[in-house]
Amino acid sequence: MNRMKPKTIMKLTSLAMVLAWTFTGSSLAKIETVKGPTFNLTAKDGFITTPDGGAYLMWGYALDGGTMQYPGPTMDVNEGDTVTVNLTNQLSVPVSIVFPGNVGVTAAGDSNGLLTKEADPNGGTASYSFTAAHPGTYLYYSGTNPALQVEMGLVGAMIIRPSGQPPGENWAYNHSDSRYDYEYLFLLTEMDPVIHEMAQCGKWDQIDLTTYWPVLWFINGRNAPDTMMPANTPLLPTQPYNCLPRMHPGDRLLMRCLGGGRDLHPFHPHGNNFTQIARDGRLLSSGPGAGADLAVSDFTLTVAPGETADTIFEWTGEKLGWDIYGHDVNDPMQPNEYAPDHGKPFPVKLPDKKDLTFGATYSGSPFLGLQGDLPPGEGGFNVNAGYFFMWHSHNEKEMVNYDIFPGGMMTMLIIEPNGVTIE
Amino acid sequence: MSQIVTNRATQILLAVVTLLAMAGASPGAEYYLRADTTTKIMPDGQTVVMWGFALDSAFGAEDGQVTVPGPLLTVPPNQKNLIINLDNNLGVPVSIVIPSQINTAMVPVKFIDDKGRQRIRSFTHETEPNNTEPVVYKWKNIREGTYLYHSGSHPAVQVQMGLYGCLKKDVEKLKKIDALGIAYADVLYDTEVVLCFSEIDPALHNAVTTGNYGPGKAMTSTIDYKPKYFLINGQPYSSGLPPLPAGSPNQQVLIRFVNAGLETHVPVLQGFHMNVVAEDGYKYRYGREQYSLILPAHKTKDAIIIPTAAGTYPVYDRRLRLTNAGASPGGMLTHLNVAN
Repeated sequence: MNRMKPKTIMKLTSLAMVLAWTFTGSSLAKIETVKGPTFNLTAKDGFITTPDGGAYLMWGYALDGGTMQYPGPTMDVNEGDTVTVNLTNQLSVPVSIVFPGNVGVTAAGDSNGLLTKEADPNGGTASYSFTAAHPGTYLYYSGTNPALQVEMGLVGAMIIRPSGQPPGENWAYNHSDSRYDYEYLFLLTEMDPVIHEMAQCGKWDQIDLTTYWPVLWFINGRNAPDTMMPANTPLLPTQPYNCLPRMHPGDRLLMRCLGGGRDLHPFHPHGNNFTQIARDGRLLSSGPGAGADLAVSDFTLTVAPGETADTIFEWTGEKLGWDIYGHDVNDPMQPNEYAPDHGKPFPVKLPDKKDLTFGATYSGSPFLGLQGDLPPGEGGFNVNAGYFFMWHSHNEKEMVNYDIFPGGMMTMLIIEPNGVTIE
Repeated sequence: MSQIVTNRATQILLAVVTLLAMAGASPGAEYYLRADTTTKIMPDGQTVVMWGFALDSAFGAEDGQVTVPGPLLTVPPNQKNLIINLDNNLGVPVSIVIPSQINTAMVPVKFIDDKGRQRIRSFTHETEPNNTEPVVYKWKNIREGTYLYHSGSHPAVQVQMGLYGCLKKDVEKLKKIDALGIAYADVLYDTEVVLCFSEIDPALHNAVTTGNYGPGKAMTSTIDYKPKYFLINGQPYSSGLPPLPAGSPNQQVLIRFVNAGLETHVPVLQGFHMNVVAEDGYKYRYGREQYSLILPAHKTKDAIIIPTAAGTYPVYDRRLRLTNAGASPGGMLTHLNVAN
């Protein structure tokens, strides 16, 4: 295996991020999905890379016989669809797929497993079919020896779109409480590299799943800072999904959170509370038609393995006590500006530039959408002069890549100024 | 008018029936438990010496079977109090506590450690080894719901050794209903399943039973707890494990989830959403539709499912404790059998 040196990878990562943020293309924002309702998946092996320079053997669900990917394809179907997932197994062990939260799954396959029908090793097949009865966010994963196979990477997300959303609007469920402007996936997993190294060496009998000790933590199959690179970047051919949430002030951002691994993760957005509106594909509701009336506002979401949770995040800079646009009192308002702070001055005197060190995402100005002067070579990662907020697991040890900080289960939210295109 | 008269008549009749029922009821449920050793054979052949509780017919009768978890204790809906008479055949003092229920005389037991410090050894009065008289533990006004009882003495060791079990009490039926029971107000069920999760670290059991546990010995504490076996109702999964009966289609099936272990588990019920109705014996104002639930140590949660079709449905720990000391399949996996 010809491994790149970590420094080279970091440089490439930085380059990719600069390129990505300069040309804000379709692969940066939104959830990359595969439309259904029929999916042909192949279980096969391949390697992923981690920002500390690691490369690990994985098993994953590949789409249409393509490249192994971690996590598996994010399946995108509509409420009422008859979903069919055909599985071909190129691994040397039996595999399968389970769809928790979906009822009446009809399974066919080579052999009977403990949780579902399985595809035999080396070319076996299985097929699963069910009606997508309830909209929401769902997890799928191997039902065959899942303690090993989920760790090896056989896990993915499924989104069921509601049938009742009005034209031109985005709803996650059949109620306007789930309305959103942008949606992002947060499929949280972790990894114990020892298991993968043993697997690569064929030492299956030495894998002890009771001594599981993860040291790598992922969002959508990537560790920070790779989480912020574009989706489908050629630098990460087996890790197609990024996680770089972007929104304008006042937008409603839907977080689709899934516990894909085996540990609980306290996921923590900076910038504001979120409102959890759903769990396990059901609105937090007191009864039919009541909407998400049992929704809760919180700043840390416990994402448990196997569960899914949907939250709405909003941000306007409300109650900061100063005008984020640097307005004069007589200036016109920006859309969704927090009116009571309009024209309020920035509360501190900024130090002279020669007394500062600069972060890569500092625009040179404290105001949203305003670029300031920066010394040569500084900044450059914040082409729209947005605000960056770190979103991460608040189990702080999960913000490393195999002991190297920062990394792991972390990404950035970008509050983009009004007018910046976000797909 | 006649409607009002009928209603009054019904009320009077109901009151009389209730009074008669109360008159006939004993003041509480009374059990004779014995703490004793038992040996579990794991699916890989490993034997683990455990401590457990047996349900005897009387003190000294020793006619009950020692089990882990201990016997499921039921306080009948029309009774308020619970009395446990404890017999101790182990070599160390033990006791029983039921967090969330009111013990009428809960006095901690203290000791002086080797540094001269006063420390608490037990949350409540203890039963010495080989006691000749039953030691009595009393609780009053037992709340309805699902609870865990366990040893209150040196619980870091004794709970893990197996001194735990489940307690339940239903709401009294004040009128004739078809349901088997009422778990909480308006939560009726036709059949019930108890799922008690726990773990075993065989190294600890080995150290305790060979006298190698304690200050200055090979194992000085439970800090290195590394469980190898993962149990539902005292049983790790192995091939041929029979499914648990879970009623028939369209019945209301109550699942009582209890975590008697030391780790957090996340049971997933495959094929259903559950209506999670209560936690720690307290009913939620609104049920929660979930197929998974977070079950930390000592937590109890109650859920209702209404299966629409016969079949066997897996329940397993999504923290993937699905191994028997490294061998798979195993661990916290069982099936619910919904029969026609």
